Amino acid sequence: MTDIYDLAIVGAGLSALSFLRARGPVGLTAVIDYQDRAGGFLRPALPDPALPDASELVASFQLPAGVETLFASTAVGLLPSAGTPPHTVLVRDRAGTRHVRAARVLIASGGLEITREHDQIPGPRPAGVVTPIFVHQLLDRGWLPGSRAVVYGSSRYAAATKERLATAGTEATLVPSEEDGSSGGADVVEVRGFPRVQEVVLRRDGAESMLPADLLVYARGMVANTLWLKGSGVELDDRGAVVMDERYQTNIPRVHAIGTVVAPDLDHSRSIAMGEDLARLWEAGP
Amino acid sequence: MRARTVQVDALVIGGGVVGCAVLRELSRFQATVALLERQPDICDVTSKANSAIVHTGFDAPPGSVEAGLLARARDLWPGVIEELRIPYLQTGAVMVAAGRQEMEAIRQEIVPKAERNGVTLSELTADEIMENLPAVTPEVVGGVLVEGEGVIDPFWTTRAYAENAVRNGAQVYLEHGVTGISVHADGVTVETAPGTIFQARIVVNAAGLWSDEVARLAGDNSFRITPRKGQFIITEDDLGIGQIVLPVPSKISKGILVTPIVFGGTMLGPTAEEVTDKTDLSTTAEGLRRIRQGVAKLVPDAAGASTIRQFAGLRAVSSTGDYIVGPSPTGRRLITVAGIRSTGLSVSPALGRHVAELVRDELNLAARGDFDPTLPELLAEAREDEGDVICLCRAITRGEILEALRSPLPPATLDGLKRRTGAMLGDCQGNICMPRLIELLRRELGRDPLTLPKNVRGSSPVVSPVRAPASSGRER
Repeated sequence: MTDIYDLAIVGAGLSALSFLRARGPVGLTAVIDYQDRAGGFLRPALPDPALPDASELVASFQLPAGVETLFASTAVGLLPSAGTPPHTVLVRDRAGTRHVRAARVLIASGGLEITREHDQIPGPRPAGVVTPIFVHQLLDRGWLPGSRAVVYGSSRYAAATKERLATAGTEATLVPSEEDGSSGGADVVEVRGFPRVQEVVLRRDGAESMLPADLLVYARGMVANTLWLKGSGVELDDRGAVVMDERYQTNIPRVHAIGTVVAPDLDHSRSIAMGEDLARLWEAGP
Repeated sequence: MRARTVQVDALVIGGGVVGCAVLRELSRFQATVALLERQPDICDVTSKANSAIVHTGFDAPPGSVEAGLLARARDLWPGVIEELRIPYLQTGAVMVAAGRQEMEAIRQEIVPKAERNGVTLSELTADEIMENLPAVTPEVVGGVLVEGEGVIDPFWTTRAYAENAVRNGAQVYLEHGVTGISVHADGVTVETAPGTIFQARIVVNAAGLWSDEVARLAGDNSFRITPRKGQFIITEDDLGIGQIVLPVPSKISKGILVTPIVFGGTMLGPTAEEVTDKTDLSTTAEGLRRIRQGVAKLVPDAAGASTIRQFAGLRAVSSTGDYIVGPSPTGRRLITVAGIRSTGLSVSPALGRHVAELVRDELNLAARGDFDPTLPELLAEAREDEGDVICLCRAITRGEILEALRSPLPPATLDGLKRRTGAMLGDCQGNICMPRLIELLRRELGRDPLTLPKNVRGSSPVVSPVRAPASSGRER
């Protein structure tokens, strides 16, 4: 508990897992994650035929020897050392707040989903306007979040969420959020109904249409999960994503970043590739 | 079958900030006191959706009931904040003049009016404003500081009033909408939706937006309440605004402000729209556009700020133009507290005290010797094994959630839990932690997820158990 780690990885999502699978531990390595298992927020959607690489990674992942997992442990702050290492990651777990000290920190804290609120969609605030992570966690617990769903988004994750809802017994319609070549994307311009959502108003090519639904799953994309880095001095861009160079180095020495946290619009396959790329760069040591 | 009857000395109708403040003040007396709330939890209408400012009343109509009570509230707030441990920041408010004409209006109208209300304002130069608030518009020519204005947690305030009352013996009846009232010489009979009949020696109508309809049930048609909608945008962008920034007001409204939030972020708004539907809390494209336009004149960066949330609230505006506080025309034993418009939170300590005094004088109540005005400190010591984070965005721990669930007035809805703990208020708007919270409410309070509402009845995020398909196309 009082050891100084060689590497602390914040986040056990796809980018961290792919890095660990390809590289193994970097000396004494700790992986910290809010959830009580590895795989990130995508995990409940897996396995899914539309997400073969992610499904395969999570299914086959074996924790390398020398890696300690700190699950149900949430990084709430980063205190970079001014001069010589180690850095300190403030972590909250069941026992309270602990200081995880590490020579290097790899930020892989992923993203939060863009909500209806981020896009300032007008209307009332009824039950049944959610994001995929809510849907998956509710289904995992055996509860259905709606009977008739509109899943709004163009990613494979959106499609997988729609499929999973359909399997669980919800009548689900996928509405692409942007041009994907084959079909025109739509904008959600209003939510209607209270206390439960009843209608989703869409605009496509200037024309408005209305879809009845008691569940709107807003799956338009992600924002970087960097709130916990507030005050750390780690440079963020104007969208809140961690700024890093081609070697995944942030503005602070020995603090690195990969995955959705550096590029919120990243597809999960590129997140996996980024973990592998960093593993290659660090083959002989960071 | 005979309906259940409950006898009380004093009964408050309405679990908003005003009703709960009245309940707390009533619990100081040797009397049985109770509160009826129509919704599944307290603080669910106007008290949850407002600008969360403790106003000094510098701009209230001088000589009005409102101005008098706001003046008294100024003296009471420091004690209330300390006793109930309410998160509060005395930020001060800066009224910004964006031209000579506005500066003249401040000097000719705002400052003298404030003086009549007993509030001294101090003039600021453009340089002084820019020094503290560099994000303010470069058009600023000067302004005025209202030092006594601050921002507060409105959810905490309302819950703390009620919980403090409950700890002192008051009863709170949730989902007890009032369906009938008859006023007698020595008391009032109140019928409620669940069928329970309350026999009270005195009743306080603090039903906010619905106070006119409650009055009508008693045969009082003397006033009408109309809703005035205020829409808001919340941003967590760092705007560098540590004080309330307000424009020179118009005739009907203080205008659109930029207000720091005591628990993080900044609030932009409100609009002021005369509407008719007392249940419609929709935001509108037009309203949100007007907020952006309004703040652009004060703090240009705020116009394009990202947002994590928007909401609308409804002010309860009375047809008389002022507060209505006092015995109803139907009898001395029904006290009306209505038309509190947009200052209910700010006035609550004084209004609660004032109304309790009216009740005391009518019923000749004596003070209790054992009234405890304080609330225990929240999470003085983190409990063993409850330190893990449930709400990722706000880093709210399991211990904080469980403490709210174990309180003498536990949240009855998910929004109630949000208002008590701050969980679900952050960037993800509860999508990450709400399933865990539903699970915790089931385990700790035995709440069935199928009927656990987000706020009002019929707002459960769960519609049914998963209907397991006969043959699944995929493995799980």
